Amino acid sequence: MIKITNLEKYYRTEEVETVALNKLSFEVKEGEFVAVMGPSGCGKSTLLNILGLLDDPDAGSFLFNGIEVAKFNERKRADLRKHNIGFVFQSFNLIDELTVFENVELPLIYTGVKASERKKIVEEVLDKMVIMHRRNHYPQQLSGGQQQRVAVARAVVNNPKLILADEPTGNLDSSNGNEVMQLLTDLNEQGTTIIMVTHSEHDARYSHRVIRMLDGQTVMENIMI
Amino acid sequence: MLLNYLKLAWRNLLKYRFFTALNITGLSIGVACFLLITLFVTDELSFDRFHDHAGNIYRVDADIVFGGSSLALAVASDPMGEALRKDYPEVQGYTRIYTSNGSKLIKKGNVFINEDDVAHVDSTFFDIFTYPAISGDTRKALTEPNTVVLTESAARKYFGNTDVLGKMLETNDAGGTLYKVTAVIQDMPRNAHFYFDFLFSMKNVQYDFGNYLSHNFSTYLLLRPGTTRKAFEKHFPDYINKYVFPQAAQFMQLKSIDEFEKSGNRISYQLTPLTDIHLRSDRMAEIRVNSNIQYVYIFSAVAIFTLLIACVNFMNLSTARSANRAKEVGIRKVLGSERKTLIRQFLTESGLLAVISLVIAIVLTWVALPFFNSLAGKSFRLTDLVRPDFLLFLVLLPVFIGLMAGLYPAFYLSSFNPITVLKGKLNAGARRSGLRSTLVVFQFATSIILIVGTIVVYRQLNFIQNKKIGFNKDQVLVINGTGALDAQYRAFRNEVEKLPGVLGSTMSGYLPVMPGARSDQTFSKESVMDPRNGFNMQCWRIDENYIPTLGMEMKAGRNFSRAFGTDSSGIIINESTAALLGYADPVGKILYSADGVNSEPGPHTIIGVVKDFHFASLKQKIGPLSFVLGNANWATSFKVKAANVKDILNKVQKIWTGMAPQLPFSYQFLDESFSNMYRAEQRAGKIALVFSVLAILIACLGLFGLASFMAEQRTKEIGVRKVLGASVQDIVGMLSKDFLLLVVISSVVAVPLAWYGMHRWLEDFAYRSALPAWIFVAAAIAALLIALITISFQAIKAALANPVSSLRSE
Ligand SMILES: Nc1ncnc2c1ncn2[C@@H]1O[C@H](COP(=O)(O)OP(=O)(O)OP(=O)(O)O)[C@@H](O)[C@H]1O
Ligand SMILES: [Mg+2]
Repeated sequence: MIKITNLEKYYRTEEVETVALNKLSFEVKEGEFVAVMGPSGCGKSTLLNILGLLDDPDAGSFLFNGIEVAKFNERKRADLRKHNIGFVFQSFNLIDELTVFENVELPLIYTGVKASERKKIVEEVLDKMVIMHRRNHYPQQLSGGQQQRVAVARAVVNNPKLILADEPTGNLDSSNGNEVMQLLTDLNEQGTTIIMVTHSEHDARYSHRVIRMLDGQTVMENIMI
Repeated sequence: MLLNYLKLAWRNLLKYRFFTALNITGLSIGVACFLLITLFVTDELSFDRFHDHAGNIYRVDADIVFGGSSLALAVASDPMGEALRKDYPEVQGYTRIYTSNGSKLIKKGNVFINEDDVAHVDSTFFDIFTYPAISGDTRKALTEPNTVVLTESAARKYFGNTDVLGKMLETNDAGGTLYKVTAVIQDMPRNAHFYFDFLFSMKNVQYDFGNYLSHNFSTYLLLRPGTTRKAFEKHFPDYINKYVFPQAAQFMQLKSIDEFEKSGNRISYQLTPLTDIHLRSDRMAEIRVNSNIQYVYIFSAVAIFTLLIACVNFMNLSTARSANRAKEVGIRKVLGSERKTLIRQFLTESGLLAVISLVIAIVLTWVALPFFNSLAGKSFRLTDLVRPDFLLFLVLLPVFIGLMAGLYPAFYLSSFNPITVLKGKLNAGARRSGLRSTLVVFQFATSIILIVGTIVVYRQLNFIQNKKIGFNKDQVLVINGTGALDAQYRAFRNEVEKLPGVLGSTMSGYLPVMPGARSDQTFSKESVMDPRNGFNMQCWRIDENYIPTLGMEMKAGRNFSRAFGTDSSGIIINESTAALLGYADPVGKILYSADGVNSEPGPHTIIGVVKDFHFASLKQKIGPLSFVLGNANWATSFKVKAANVKDILNKVQKIWTGMAPQLPFSYQFLDESFSNMYRAEQRAGKIALVFSVLAILIACLGLFGLASFMAEQRTKEIGVRKVLGASVQDIVGMLSKDFLLLVVISSVVAVPLAWYGMHRWLEDFAYRSALPAWIFVAAAIAALLIALITISFQAIKAALANPVSSLRSE
């Protein structure tokens, strides 16, 4: 599903040039659950942003379902993104002014789903995430675990083929963390590909495979069972 | 302590540079507008107040309704002042000004110069009015005939210095008259409803003195202190019975005043306070075109609203940014700062901002002053701002603005509860504020009203310029003072007519524009005048080329013609007169002139009816008017081809100077003179335009600030939405929606107010343009577009930002 070859990304600030990704290559097959690990600042988030079509690489190739997307312009990327990719962030990134229902509904609005249909889909997803009873609450009124469940619900509401999660449990205690990991595992079992950045070996065990990074390069891949 | 406040305030202003710049720009433009308009308004209000007795001087005005025509005159009859002084002890004195002779040619060396600012005045002029003398005794200066009082400028212009007592000045009156200079006064202030450079003795006026029925003198009474206007006006009926009625009775065989009034006729008098004339008097025979109190009201409102809009910007931006400042407030409070201290801190900030803005505003005012002067027709200098009363005002202004703009934010910001603030829960709430929305609505409603006002004023002016005025004012070159050519007149006219491009000419000083001569006369339908058959009518002396040259049209009958020897006693009337007379076919009927037309009293046969044309301002209905053949050669009009106007003018001037090098060459274009009748409106239109644009600009600065602030506040949200697939349009729409809703609400508020205001303004005109709905729609759409452009700049910037960077900051 994803094949990156010699991917490079630099950040230039005033005088310093940071190499965030240094000729990075790997492949992720459809249906895989991959964890990305590595010390802080090694380029994990940068990688995820590029995989999520939020950012473009400076060099290298990025095949998404066999299509070269490294040189896609902003509009094409956005189009591909909203139909195929869901995001889960460490800090949830829910919109404070919108209710749980409205937050989850957003991606459907942007992909142009009709209102009546949206209601059905959102309720289905909220049910699945066991957060239906909170549908009219605002994010501030929820616990961290509940908020992340809403975020996951929002990530999957469009039925994406790929979910990218950047430290999804980073702001949660272990029991809430395990709950979210279970949700991701369930989704993966239903066929969704998942790439997750994490600092936790415990969480990494939920995945099939761990990619370890150091200074923008893969240093090791180990298969978990 | 204050120094500490100031230091902190300064740092804060620097820290939030962008908002400080927006605030200062808005405030300083607002204050500059306010200063300029204040200059204008105080000047308008200062008119005629420099006289020692200003509060006790009144002008006598006459209202005459006679034979269906009504006249509101700013003049009284020649003997009226003296009669009132003799009969009523409340009258301490009176004086009269006579300007009906128009301008004079005054000889300097070998050439004559045309002087417009001339008048004949009574010797009592200086008893009533206060004009400091430079030399001579003004009290006695004009008691003799052939005397003249000059202003300093006039003395310098004609003699090179002011030491001119006893010197002689030659004018063209009565074929050449010498006047002796008996006093020199300081130049007359321009903030007066009249000012002259030459005051000639009244004794040189050639006039049918003693007539109580003929009104030609601007007459001013000085009433004794304590006399009220109302009380004095009660004397007028007695005066009319004693003086006016006996003459009228003799004139038209009346037995009683009742008989006169029963036929719908009326003569009445009223007093207009001297200090009201400039702003509240718009009568026939005013010495100069006056202004209008409405403009004072309108401009004062514009000034105040412009300033308020700028203050609102400050309030809105301060409270909107409160989220950023909240943390500072929270920490300060936790550290023990009292609310009082915080309020002082915030007020110091707004005060400092106001002072900086004032300084910039004064610079802006200085830069804009020449432009404003030409716009408003004034000659202000920056030093006018440092008059003592103004100085106090300048000191109070920043205090007022500081409080105005700072009080609410200060109380609002200082009221934050430190616990909620430090938890960071405030953001969402601070973003939406009912008050802020209300203030934005206020700003935009004001802007929309200003836009509507400007459109309506311009439409009315256009309407006036393009209305079917009944004559063709275009490409008519009027040469003034042709009467002075005497024997050479015929030759001059022939020469000019021979120029290629000159299509025709007519000799008449009676023109349907200002300045043009007027002659109001009494006519009757029967040979013996009585109150039922008499009426007043303009009677203009013209030649047979007048009607075709000025493009007027005949409704019935015919124009004067050389082919008819009897035309010298013929008369052409306008449609209004025809309607007044009530004849089915007026042609062939006879009108009797009471005073004599061309000194020929007696019957005049109506030979034609000319279609109505406007000969006064469109504020007045078209009244009765007639033409007779006669000699009024002090102006001659030439119809010329559009293409070579400039060239023709040069050639005409060459012919003139060739024939009469000693006489001044003076001309006007009829269309320009026509638009001069609406100078006050034109000025008002331009001023309204400039200040509306500025007000809208200031409102937009505020909106720009708010929009950029909102975008900044919602950076994260925008990032999230983009990650979820929102397009740039989605984001721009989302950010603009709220503001645009406010602008829509503003339109709803503004439209009825604007409609009412403009309806009132238009009522002033007898002939007015319509007030169609599209004006209001256009103004609302304009406001919406302007707001949209302002907001979308920020919105697009926010929408285009890469979401990765905004989400990183978490
Ligand atoms: N917008 C940016 N501008 C400049 N440098 C950046 C930018 N984004 C990332 N970097 C740099 O690129 C490198 C990789 O950053 P990245 O956020 O991908 O690290 P990370 O592995 O996700 O770290 P963490 O585990 O702390 O989240 C770091 O050195 C970072 O400082
Ligand atoms: Mg990271």
